[in-house]
Amino acid sequence: MTDALHSRRNILRMALALGAGGTLGGLTTACATPTGLPGAGTLNIALNRSLVSLDNKLNQFDAAVTVQRAVRQALTRLTPDLKIQPVLAESFQLTAPTEWTVRLRSGIRYSDNSPVQVEDVAKALESYRDTKGGFLATFFPEWPRVVKVDDQTFKLRTDAPLPVLDYLMANILITPAAANKAEELQTGVGSGPYVVTAADRGAGNYQLAINPNYWGTRPTVEQVQVRFLPSETSRVVSLRSGEVDVIDSITPDSVEQLRGLPGVQIENRPGTRITHLFYNFRKPAGHPLADVRVREALSYAINGDALINDILQQAVIPVPGVVPPGLSGAAAVGGFRYDPAKARQMLTGLGVRDLSMKIIWESGEFAGDTQVMEAVYEMLRAVGVRVTLQQFEPGGDISAWRQGRAGDWDLLANGYPSSTGLAITVLQGMYAGTAAKEQTRDTYHGYVVPEATQLIARASAEIDPARRTQLLTQAQQTVWNTWPAMWAFAPKAVVARRERVTGMAMGANNSYDLTQLRLAQ
Amino acid sequence: MSMIRYLAKRLAQSFLTILLTVSTVFVLIRLAPGDPARAYAGPLSTNEQVEEVRRQFGLDQPLIEQYWTFLKGLFSGDLGTSFSYQAPALDVVLDRLPYTLTLAISAIVVTTLVSIPLGVWMARRADTRRELAANVATVAGQSMPEFWTGVMLLTVFAVLIPVLPASGFTTWGGLVLPTVTIAILQIALISRMVRREMVANFGAPYLTVARSRGVGERLLTWRYAMGNASVPVVTALGTRFAAMLNGVVVVEVVFAWPGVGSLVVRALETRDYPLIVTTVLVTSVLAVLVQLLVDLCYPLLDPRVRLGKAVA
Repeated sequence: MTDALHSRRNILRMALALGAGGTLGGLTTACATPTGLPGAGTLNIALNRSLVSLDNKLNQFDAAVTVQRAVRQALTRLTPDLKIQPVLAESFQLTAPTEWTVRLRSGIRYSDNSPVQVEDVAKALESYRDTKGGFLATFFPEWPRVVKVDDQTFKLRTDAPLPVLDYLMANILITPAAANKAEELQTGVGSGPYVVTAADRGAGNYQLAINPNYWGTRPTVEQVQVRFLPSETSRVVSLRSGEVDVIDSITPDSVEQLRGLPGVQIENRPGTRITHLFYNFRKPAGHPLADVRVREALSYAINGDALINDILQQAVIPVPGVVPPGLSGAAAVGGFRYDPAKARQMLTGLGVRDLSMKIIWESGEFAGDTQVMEAVYEMLRAVGVRVTLQQFEPGGDISAWRQGRAGDWDLLANGYPSSTGLAITVLQGMYAGTAAKEQTRDTYHGYVVPEATQLIARASAEIDPARRTQLLTQAQQTVWNTWPAMWAFAPKAVVARRERVTGMAMGANNSYDLTQLRLAQ
Repeated sequence: MSMIRYLAKRLAQSFLTILLTVSTVFVLIRLAPGDPARAYAGPLSTNEQVEEVRRQFGLDQPLIEQYWTFLKGLFSGDLGTSFSYQAPALDVVLDRLPYTLTLAISAIVVTTLVSIPLGVWMARRADTRRELAANVATVAGQSMPEFWTGVMLLTVFAVLIPVLPASGFTTWGGLVLPTVTIAILQIALISRMVRREMVANFGAPYLTVARSRGVGERLLTWRYAMGNASVPVVTALGTRFAAMLNGVVVVEVVFAWPGVGSLVVRALETRDYPLIVTTVLVTSVLAVLVQLLVDLCYPLLDPRVRLGKAVA
């Protein structure tokens, strides 16, 4: 039966009302002009990954650090040139081989006006320790114990000497103990210059405003909008149209597009990540790649300059050793050289003929990955090596292959980050393999060289800075002598910004301090 | 068949459809390559850490046990925790749903408002030059892939003439370009269908009789002919709308629209099992509800239709 209520006209009206309701329900953000341009006092940042957290227990991707640290702070921080600087700590001193004494800065309060306390530090360490799959946890050889001395002072004690604890603690963000837990914290109280005024986890949009209780110099940018734009094209278009002020994670292709555009500036500096073509160290004795001389010979086939200039558009720098050159403790212990004639000569001299290699990598592991690998294919073919390329999609089975559980391979193109800015962290993660670790396939592609492992362990526990540097250099030379990689480079941290944003001091870890930024009127 | 019996039967069918759909997805994604525990724990994690993550998310359990846990959760409203968001998967999807609903409703409203008058206009001018021009335009609209249309609109209206936002939904203007991108294809499809139905009805004897009785052309078109054409047209609109609710993936990606479509892309990349299944569940429920609503509209649109029976 068709009554008045169910007339076509009423149905249409209801449909329109539903449509309008749904539309209204979806609009959750503001502070933008009708064309999407940010307001005069608002900075718009677009991130390549969703900022599902304002904590960094799990999500330590580079650009997120900028926002996370605007809300929460650590005892120390890495300066743009990778030096350590106290933040919540007034002093952070090594007072015994296994003991650091920390004094909290006096008068510091969180955004809810509660004081920063020693208990908060203990709880923060506990939360980071208990986070399942925590990325940062892998950098702590052991978790320090907090021993309270007084309301302002405490000691961080370890069983073994941990002379880089001040660097490690730069990654541990402090939150009031009562509000902290071993899960990602998406909003909440912090001691940083900004507070979260609106958060839409679904869209990955956050709105920050100045923390009225901030203990440091008041920022000049009143509001910060953080947006999640996963597609690089979207980020570039949004920057070009002026809709966002800063974008990160830019490939060389996009840098080319943006370079020279009116109103747009590119910021870059050498990064803390190493990307390399790493050999599979699980090859049995007798296999050509088990011979260090073969590994060395193959490296002469790679024309690094061509890759850097023609494909990577100078968005990377060559690595003169085994860790990125900007890291504290990095030593220039070697260098990759292009000499295909020498490569052929060495391979022939070693009796290596008809060598075939399988190279694997994951899509998006580094900018221009596919083009680089295709070029490497040609370069190796030019010295008589047959190459098979196998690319994995993100989230696929690359991990099982890396561990040698899914199949055999010869070379892996991938990277390793340093969130501490220290060479020792990278060395520990990549080159401190042991037989026990290899049992569980937890070494870095089977790299187990006891001499290197011992030197790294000694450097890790060495308190004397000069002696530590010496040990680190020895360790890097030892590693270099094993020719672990065919070629290596350090991608630069690249950010593009509108010219109305000034004062950006880009850090090597691809982050910057929001309090330093200015917005032109 | 009474309305209540019909509804009960349809709801039971819908429930089975949804259960079968999510169960199939549940099994298939687990058979697909990739290890979510390792993806979640990160490439630098140790085996021990990966195992811990696997235990934490119950991935170390046999498939049948995982499925049983899922079914129990389904009926208690707990669809698991998203691996990548570390939050209840249902909450994550519901956070995104308003954006997809907004876009889909906006697109279907524009489609309806444009395609029906356009289709009628074409039908009334069938086989004329003006109709030919409209035909060419609709064929073009039907042929242009959404990613291309989206990029072109983006280039013109966000970059060359920056009058509309390029990405996301930070302002009402942000709705325009994705809506138009979706609507162009849908308008082309629906208007051609409306034209076909209307042309068939214009030639039907009942209209000739009505016309001979002096019924005006406007009434003939909008009440008589459109009345008969409304069932297939509403069916088509409902189907298109249901498809949009399943995530207008390409458009959401092009315009960085924070909806379910872009969420499911991310969930697939990270092998976020709970999120994938929850997305499928939520969008299936919506799609089934839309289809049910369309079915319920039939008797209102065409009195000859009785629920549960074919048109006589």
